[in-house]
Amino acid sequence: MVDVIKNTQMHCTYGCKTSKAVQPNVAGKLISKAKRPLFVVGSQILKDEELLKRAIEIAKKADIPVAATGHSMKGFVDADVDAKYINIHALATYLCDPNWTGLDGKGQYDTIITLGHYKYYINQVYSGLKNFSNLKTISIDRQYLQNATMSFGNITPEVLLEALDELIENL
Amino acid sequence: MSELTTGSFSIGDLENVQITINNIVGAIDKQMEKSDEEMGPTPKPGVSSLRDWDHTIFERYNPIYTPMCDQCCYCTFGPCDLSGNKEGACGINLEAHNAREFMLRVMTGAAAHSGHGRHLLHHMIDLYGKDYPLDVGPTNIIAPNVQAVTGIKPETLGDLDIVLNYVEEQLTQLLAAVHAGQEGAAIDFESKAMHGGMIDHVGMEVSDIVQISCLGFPKSDANPPLADIGMGCIDPSKPNLIVIGHNVAAVTDIIDYMEDNDLSDKIELGGLCCTALDMTRYKMDGSAEDQVPKAKIIGSLAKELKMIRSGAPDVIVVDEQCIRADVLPEAQKLMIPVITTNDKVMYGLKDRSNDDVEDILADLTSGKEPGALLLDFEKVGEIAPRLAMMMSEIRKQKGIKALPTEEELKDQVDKCVHCLACEIACPDNLPISEAMKLAKEGDFTKFEWIHDKCIGCGRCEFACPKDIDIVNVIEKSSQKLIRNEIGKVRAGRGPISDPEIREEGVNLVLGTTPGIVAMVGCSNYPDGTKDLFDIAKEMLQRNYIVVVSGCSAMDLGMYKDEDGLTLYEKYPAKFKSGGLINVGSCVSNAHITAAVIKVAAIFAQKQVSGNYEELADYSLNRVGAVGVAWGAYSQKAASIGTGCSRLGIPVILGPHGSKYRRALIAKPYEDQKWNVYDARDGSEMKIPAAPEFLLTTCETIEEMMPMLAKSCIRPSDNNMGRMIKLTHYIELSQKYLGVMPDDWQNYVRMETDLPLAKRQELLKILEEEHGWEIDWKRKKILSGPVMKSDVSAQPTNLKRLCKEA
Ligand code: SF4
Ligand code: SF4
Ligand code: SF4
Repeated sequence: MVDVIKNTQMHCTYGCKTSKAVQPNVAGKLISKAKRPLFVVGSQILKDEELLKRAIEIAKKADIPVAATGHSMKGFVDADVDAKYINIHALATYLCDPNWTGLDGKGQYDTIITLGHYKYYINQVYSGLKNFSNLKTISIDRQYLQNATMSFGNITPEVLLEALDELIENL
Repeated sequence: MSELTTGSFSIGDLENVQITINNIVGAIDKQMEKSDEEMGPTPKPGVSSLRDWDHTIFERYNPIYTPMCDQCCYCTFGPCDLSGNKEGACGINLEAHNAREFMLRVMTGAAAHSGHGRHLLHHMIDLYGKDYPLDVGPTNIIAPNVQAVTGIKPETLGDLDIVLNYVEEQLTQLLAAVHAGQEGAAIDFESKAMHGGMIDHVGMEVSDIVQISCLGFPKSDANPPLADIGMGCIDPSKPNLIVIGHNVAAVTDIIDYMEDNDLSDKIELGGLCCTALDMTRYKMDGSAEDQVPKAKIIGSLAKELKMIRSGAPDVIVVDEQCIRADVLPEAQKLMIPVITTNDKVMYGLKDRSNDDVEDILADLTSGKEPGALLLDFEKVGEIAPRLAMMMSEIRKQKGIKALPTEEELKDQVDKCVHCLACEIACPDNLPISEAMKLAKEGDFTKFEWIHDKCIGCGRCEFACPKDIDIVNVIEKSSQKLIRNEIGKVRAGRGPISDPEIREEGVNLVLGTTPGIVAMVGCSNYPDGTKDLFDIAKEMLQRNYIVVVSGCSAMDLGMYKDEDGLTLYEKYPAKFKSGGLINVGSCVSNAHITAAVIKVAAIFAQKQVSGNYEELADYSLNRVGAVGVAWGAYSQKAASIGTGCSRLGIPVILGPHGSKYRRALIAKPYEDQKWNVYDARDGSEMKIPAAPEFLLTTCETIEEMMPMLAKSCIRPSDNNMGRMIKLTHYIELSQKYLGVMPDDWQNYVRMETDLPLAKRQELLKILEEEHGWEIDWKRKKILSGPVMKSDVSAQPTNLKRLCKEA
C-alpha cells in the first residue's frame, strides 16, 4: 500500500476548514459509492501519458462521466469514455446551482473527483464549492489541496502513478 | 464682457503685479455648458447613479466567488469564520465580504492609475501651465472615457484637473463604503466595484493624455517606431542605467540630460515595466523612419529580480507601481545604488532632494549611502547618468561578481536534498527538485526550461532549508538563452483615431471583422511568455484586430515566427482587420475602451457626453470585443478588467486570475436571461448566449482560443459576420480541443450563418442530431433556430431606449 498522506504541507492556510488527507484505497471506494459522481480532468493530464491512461481507466472502470476542462478533451477524443469539454470556472458556477441538470441533463452531481489541474487554480475552484455548495470533493492529484473535502498529500509524480493504480484496484 | 480664464496676467501700468487665477468657481458647469454637445442623463455619476445598469448586468452575469480565505479579519471583532457563507460578528456574510474585498482591489488599482495621473498632471501643469492644449492626434473626441463619464470635453491640462477632482471624490466615497458595518448586500459592493472600474478608465485616460500631449509621444500614429526588447539587448560592457516602474516623468529628465551631455551612446539606458514602454514613446511624435526610441526595454516585472541578480545594472532608478519591494537590499548586495523618485516608493532612504549634487554623488559612490530619495527630477536627470558612469568604473575595479561561477553552481546544486519545499512554495509549482537531480548529473536543460516559466519571485529561496540561491541557479544555467533574448516592440501609439474608427466601425458591428482581441495586463503567466505570441499569431492570422498594452505588449515581442520576424514586424499597426496595435503602457488601456465608445459614437452616432449607460449597452450588444489578461496579477488589472465589465466587454484571465476571487459568469441554460428588447418597438427578442461571461478564467491558451471566437459573437452580426465568427469558433475548437463545440448550433439563425465550406455537412448534423427541418433542394433551413436573423433589429437591455410599440 502506498502512503500518500504524509506530506500535507501548505504554502498558505486559507481558513478554518482543511481537507482530510485520504489514502488511495479509501478514495477508490468513495468514488464507487457515489450516486452522481463527476470526474473533472484538467489539461495537465496531457503532459503525462501514463497519467492520462489512468484517468481513462478510472472513468471506464467506475463508469463515471468526465468533465474535460482546459483542453484535456484532446486526450479523450478516441478514448471511449463519456467526456465533454467544459470551462472549469463555468463548471464551478453551475455546480453551485441546484437547478443545473448536469452535462447529461440528468441532474446535479453529488461528488466531484479532480485530477490534472494547476494546484492554485483547482484550489480556488474548490474554495467556491466548499463555501457555496454541498458537494463532496476529492482531489486525487499530487498536491495537498486544503479546500477539497478530501485530498492526497504532496507526493512525487512516481508515487501518484502508484497511488492511482491502487485507487483503480479499489473501484 | 470677456470671460475670465485661468492663467496669469499682468495689469496695465502696475509693474510687478501679476494675478494668477487657478480655479474659477463653477468651472465644471461652465465647461459642460460650453460644448454644444447634448448632455446624457448621467454626467459625473455618483456611486449609485449607474446602479440600475449594474444590476441589469448582474441579473445575467452572476458574481461568482472563490474566496482565498474563509475568514474575515477586517476589524477587532474578528477574526470571524465565514465558511459556508456564515455571517461574521458584524453581520456580513462570506459573499458580501468577498465582494467588498474585490471592490477594494478594484479601487486600489484605480487609485494607482489616477494617483499616477495626478502626479503627472501636477508636474506638467508646473512646467507648461493650465492652458496648455491637449493633443492626441486626429479626433473630435479627445477623451472618450472622460467625456462619457463626466460630460466634460477636455481641451487643456486645466480641464483634466477638474476631471481628476471628480475621480478623487468618487474614490473617497467608495473607500468609505469599505468600512466595517454598513453595506450588507454583495450585489451593491459589486456595483461599487463597477463604479471603481469605470472611474479607473477615466483616471488612466487622463494619465495617458497628459503624457501624449506634453511629452511628444506618438499621437494615434499608425506606424510608430520599433524598440529593442529583452535581457539580451542590454550591452553589459557599457555603464548600465536601469529604471523600473510606471511613471516616466523623472526619466524624461534623464534622457534629456544624456542627450545634452553627449552621453546617449555611452550609457545603456534600459527599463522594466511600463516606464520602459513609455521611455520608448518619449519624443517619438512624427515619422517613424528617422527616429530610434531613446531607450531599450528589458521586460516585465518577472525580469526585475533576474536583471538585478545579473549584476549588470550600475544604477537603478525606480518610480512607482509594479516594482519589487526588495530592490534596495538586492541591489545593495551588488553595490548598485538605488534612486527613488516618487513618494509611493521611498525604501526608507534619506531625502536628498535639497542637497548638493556633488555631495549626493560622493555619498553614493563611496557606498556611504545605499541610495537616495530624490523628488527633484532635474537632479535625478543629472545624477543618474553621472552616477552610472562612475559606478561602472568603481564596480569593475572592485570586481563585483553577481552570478555563481561554474564551480559554485555545482556546489549549490549538490546541496539539494529534494525535499520539495521549493516546489510547494513556487507559485507555479515548477519542478525544481527534478531539475536539481538532472543538474547533479551535469544536465542543466531542465533549468533552462524552468527559466522561461519562472516569474522570478524568489519564494523558492525562502523555502529552501539548504539556503540554495535557486534563482541564481536558474539564471546561471540559462545564460545562453538570456543572451539571445532579443526582440522588437512597436512603441505605444496612443488612441485609435477617428478616421480609423470610421472605416472599421461598420465591420465590427456587422461582424465582418470577427472581433477585437485586446491582450493586456501583467506577466504572471501560467506557462511562460510564449503563450502570448501564440494567441496573437492565431488571432491575427484569422483577421481579428489584436490590440495590446503594458507587459503583454512587451512579452509578445520576444518571439519570432518562421520567417524570423516578430508579429510587430509582420502585421500592420493599423486599427483594421488583421492589425496589431500597441496602444502603450498600462494607462493606455483606456484607449481600448475608448475605441469601443468611439465605435458607438462615430459609427452609430451615439451621444457621448454623460451617456455611459447607453454606450455600455451598445457595446455589450453590438461590438465584438474581448479582453485577455493572461498574466494578470495586479490590483490595477482588476480595475481595468472591471471597467471593461461595466462597459459590457468580456475579459478572460489566465488561471492565476482565479485568485482575484470573483468572476462574472452567466448560465447559458437559463433561457429567460438571454432576451433583450428590440429598440424599434420595445418587443422582446431572443439573443444567443454570448458572451457567456464578463470576467472569467481558463486553464490554457488552447482552451482560450475557441472561447475568444465565441466571445465576439453579438446579436447584431449580419449573416456574413456570423458566418465568419462561427467558422473561427468551430475551427478553433476542432484545432485545439479536437472536437466540434457542442453549442455551435445555438448561434445559427439561418443557413447563411453557416460556414460556407462546411454548409452541407452542418445542415446534415442539424437535421440528424438536432431535428431541424431542412429543404435540401434549396439548401434552406425551414425550422429549428430559436432566433430570427434580422440585421435591422436594435438589440438593447434598456427599456427606456425603445420606441413604443
Ligand atoms: S468586519 Fe465583520 S466579519 Fe470582518 S472581522 Fe469584523 S465583525 Fe468579523
Ligand atoms: S527546497 Fe532546496 S533542498 Fe528542497 S528540493 Fe528545493 S532546492 Fe532542493
Ligand atoms: S523564483 Fe521562479 S522557481 Fe522560484 S518560486 Fe518564484 S517562480 Fe518558482
